[in-house]
Amino acid sequence: MESMKQETVQDSAIPHTPRVGVYICRCGGNISDVVDTDHVAEICRLIPGVAVSKVHTFMCSDPGQQTISDDIRQEKLDRVVVASCSPFLHELTFRGAVMRSKMNPYLYEHVNIREQCSWAHKHDPRGATAKAIQLISAAVGKLSHSTPLEKIRLPNHRRAMVVGGGPAGMKVAADLAACGIPVVLVERSDRLGGKLPILNRLFPNGQAATELAAKLESQVLSNPKIEVLLKSEVTTVSGFIGNFEVAIHGDFGPSGHATDIHTTVGVIVMATGFKPYVPTDGEFNFKRHPAVVTTVDFNALLSKQKGDARTFQFDGRCIRSIAFIHCVGSRQVDGVHTPAVDGRINTYCSRVCCTTVLNQALQVRQRFPDTRVYDLHQDIRTYGRGHEEYYTDASRAGVVFYRYHGQEPPEVTNTNGPTSPLRISVKDYLSWGEELEIEADMVVLAVGMTPGPCETLVDQLKLPRGEDRFLQEIHPKLRPVEISVNGVLLAGTSQAPMNIQETLAAAGAAAVKARAMFTTEEVELNPYVAEVDAHLCEGSGACLTQCEYDGALAMVEILQDGHTVRKAHVNAGLCVGCGACVAVCPTQAINVSGWRIDQYDAMVDGLVRDLTPTTI
Amino acid sequence: MAGKFNSDLHLDITAFGGQDADMCMNCGTCTTICPMSEDSGGGFPRRVIRLIQTGQQAKLEESLDPWMCYYCGDCTTNCPRQANPAETMMASRRYLTSRYDFTGLAKLFYKSALAEILAIVLVGLFVTGLFVAFHGPMVLNKVELNTFAPVHAIELGDWIMAAVLSFFLLAGAARMTWWTLGRRNMLRISPMIFIQQIPVFFVHLFTQKRWHKCGSHHSGIRWIKHLLLVSGYLSMLTLVLILLRWFQTDTVYPFYYPQRLWGYYATIALLYPTLDFMISRWRRKEPIHLFSEASDWIFLIMLFLTALTGIMVNIFRVGGLPMATYLIYVIHLSIAVPMLVVEVPFSKWSHIMYRPLSIYLAGVKQAVGAARTREEQSAEKIAA
Repeated sequence: MESMKQETVQDSAIPHTPRVGVYICRCGGNISDVVDTDHVAEICRLIPGVAVSKVHTFMCSDPGQQTISDDIRQEKLDRVVVASCSPFLHELTFRGAVMRSKMNPYLYEHVNIREQCSWAHKHDPRGATAKAIQLISAAVGKLSHSTPLEKIRLPNHRRAMVVGGGPAGMKVAADLAACGIPVVLVERSDRLGGKLPILNRLFPNGQAATELAAKLESQVLSNPKIEVLLKSEVTTVSGFIGNFEVAIHGDFGPSGHATDIHTTVGVIVMATGFKPYVPTDGEFNFKRHPAVVTTVDFNALLSKQKGDARTFQFDGRCIRSIAFIHCVGSRQVDGVHTPAVDGRINTYCSRVCCTTVLNQALQVRQRFPDTRVYDLHQDIRTYGRGHEEYYTDASRAGVVFYRYHGQEPPEVTNTNGPTSPLRISVKDYLSWGEELEIEADMVVLAVGMTPGPCETLVDQLKLPRGEDRFLQEIHPKLRPVEISVNGVLLAGTSQAPMNIQETLAAAGAAAVKARAMFTTEEVELNPYVAEVDAHLCEGSGACLTQCEYDGALAMVEILQDGHTVRKAHVNAGLCVGCGACVAVCPTQAINVSGWRIDQYDAMVDGLVRDLTPTTI
Repeated sequence: MAGKFNSDLHLDITAFGGQDADMCMNCGTCTTICPMSEDSGGGFPRRVIRLIQTGQQAKLEESLDPWMCYYCGDCTTNCPRQANPAETMMASRRYLTSRYDFTGLAKLFYKSALAEILAIVLVGLFVTGLFVAFHGPMVLNKVELNTFAPVHAIELGDWIMAAVLSFFLLAGAARMTWWTLGRRNMLRISPMIFIQQIPVFFVHLFTQKRWHKCGSHHSGIRWIKHLLLVSGYLSMLTLVLILLRWFQTDTVYPFYYPQRLWGYYATIALLYPTLDFMISRWRRKEPIHLFSEASDWIFLIMLFLTALTGIMVNIFRVGGLPMATYLIYVIHLSIAVPMLVVEVPFSKWSHIMYRPLSIYLAGVKQAVGAARTREEQSAEKIAA
């Protein structure tokens, strides 16, 4: 990278007559079986500016790339076009190839004549051939107006902000700090741990949740590189990777009353967690009968059980039977479940509730053998290592399972007052769809997960959310903890329902990703952002009205010929190069680098260039 | 729908000898293996176990499934959870017997061997007491049983007992019918169907031919032994209830005389299977004999002793030993009467009624279903 900066300076002057090399790939027949590649090469020689036009069976191979390098040197090429496969596949390959030959990588154009010609028009070889020629001609046209570009380099603030002090946030902070990165950990409540301490005994190893929480907390508190801000919230956030400006409001500092802190961080990790689903009033008789509780409540009840009673105790009563109902607030069915305020239903599976129920059911059966347990589920999804054992053990411990279909959830009715048993009717598919009735002294609703509060950051950073309202990663497999806003990472249940194990794994991954972002002193960004020609800009401000990215465009006052004038100014870190501003500028003073209007003009000219030789 | 829910049903069944039904995970291996399950349409044993696990007492009481099982034990042999479905089926038959009986005595006897033995002893002492108080003159120079115990008096006692036992047994049968045919729904069934199915009851009462479908390779032999036992029992019933005046005589007929031949046949038909079953239970030879409840032993021992004392009466009478004959006659009746009084309506022997009745009721249900289908089809035709 460093060498590139120095070497490409020589190319910065636009030569009067560019020398373009055109390379056409056969793609081992993928292209040449349809497109007459030899003919394309022959015609491309006719395009003004083209110095070399060649065909190769595999341009991406070492000999193919070597051809380009040799020609740049011997033929004094200053522009290169490769017509081959999709740019997704090999644009960066050829950029690298020209860069190694000391050419500016942005003077390279990639033309896709496989997906767009030979594959799309395989029954029309002549048309495909003609289209390939036109596309290459357009690329050559664009290149003749291209200027060398540089990657944008911005300072990288070596500090991370972790939002949320639950298990994910604590793990990210601890891991990052262990790598020497300073961290500011922002937590809304007055303690660290999030929802971890309420979980009683954790599956799959039965560890006490408080013990794990204490371990994580001590890792955080013992590291001086971590600044923990409790009872505080992020109020404003702006900026871009390496340069996020954050305002945090909270009760900290020696004065003890609410103040604001302003700070700059290079990376933001979203560890905003989840909220347990809260059943609506009357859903399975919730809030209408005191013995209808959620799995969250039940965790607390389990840890409060005292003595060596053989029966579970609740409200001073012996609970002789408990019915667990799975999928409350998860896997909801359109037309069956009442939508939330935003009109949506939770169609997703919350993943952790099945093992949670079995964990609780098993504890009941083991500690209170005289309390019978019924388990009403759609499916048992004990997917993790060691989770299925909970099902096997619960089954062996005499838990009675019922299976209902999502369209026909069980019904819970209050038989007679707050201390009387609840009647549950269920169409049970383990009994061939028979309508069965159960009476239970207590009903436990296995509530799912909904996204935790993170609206401020979502709105201000324009973070994308999925259909399920959880934060959406870029790619579920290839980039699982990154979000489309550069420099923002996801950790834990802000992204999707996860158990503790997965949460901490995701947090670890986010910490490593965050650490990797601090490997350079500067942040490198692609140069395809808006640029203002200060001579043409009249300060109309039209561009600002179109810009959708906060802070990407601003009007600044500059001194020009002894006068103070207002001009548009681009913040390269925040601009995404969408081009909305370009379309409205009355004086065509603003352009997107690498995709300027004159380049488009040249492409159009190239497309319609008459290259029909007498031989066709 | 409304089913009576009983969260302790599984415990109740355990009290009747059920084992490990809690272990069942409803995989259905038992049902797949059972050759009887498919044509009775109930999906047992799985469904029965499921009803027990889920506390569906009313549905269990409405079910004929337990009676459709003849206990080959293949399900237990193949159960992957060692949940012993066959024994659960057996226990549910005991449970249902206790539910059909409105007096609560069946429940008491099944749950407490002591109560059952005490009841037998009391009835036995009562019978002995009757003889001590009311016996006729004891002729000692030759055997005159009919002087000691006049046949018309014994016959009267037989009939009174038969009437009482029939009342309790029929009451149980009525409850079974009422529940399994759907209570009030039963009233809508055409009487013709009830009449048409009557032969089914008697065919199965006399032949137990459904047993042929039962799975285990021992079933064939067991069926023959059981058939022998039934023939012996029904023979004796006929001889003492209908033909007592011919059967209880002081005349010693020649050996080949039908009265003696029939009696000997019945004796052998009672002694051999009961002895065989006892040995099998003792040695746990067959799956069905692996687990023996007190009620099983009491039933076999009493039946064996009845037959044994019965033949001894004959031996002493033919051998010309008056005192021994009178004495063993009193002992014989002091065993036979309590056995019948306790076992027939309130314990294991009640299956003589419930087994054929269940097949009869299944036939009625099937006929009702077929009639309904026909009605629906004709209604569709009319509508079309």
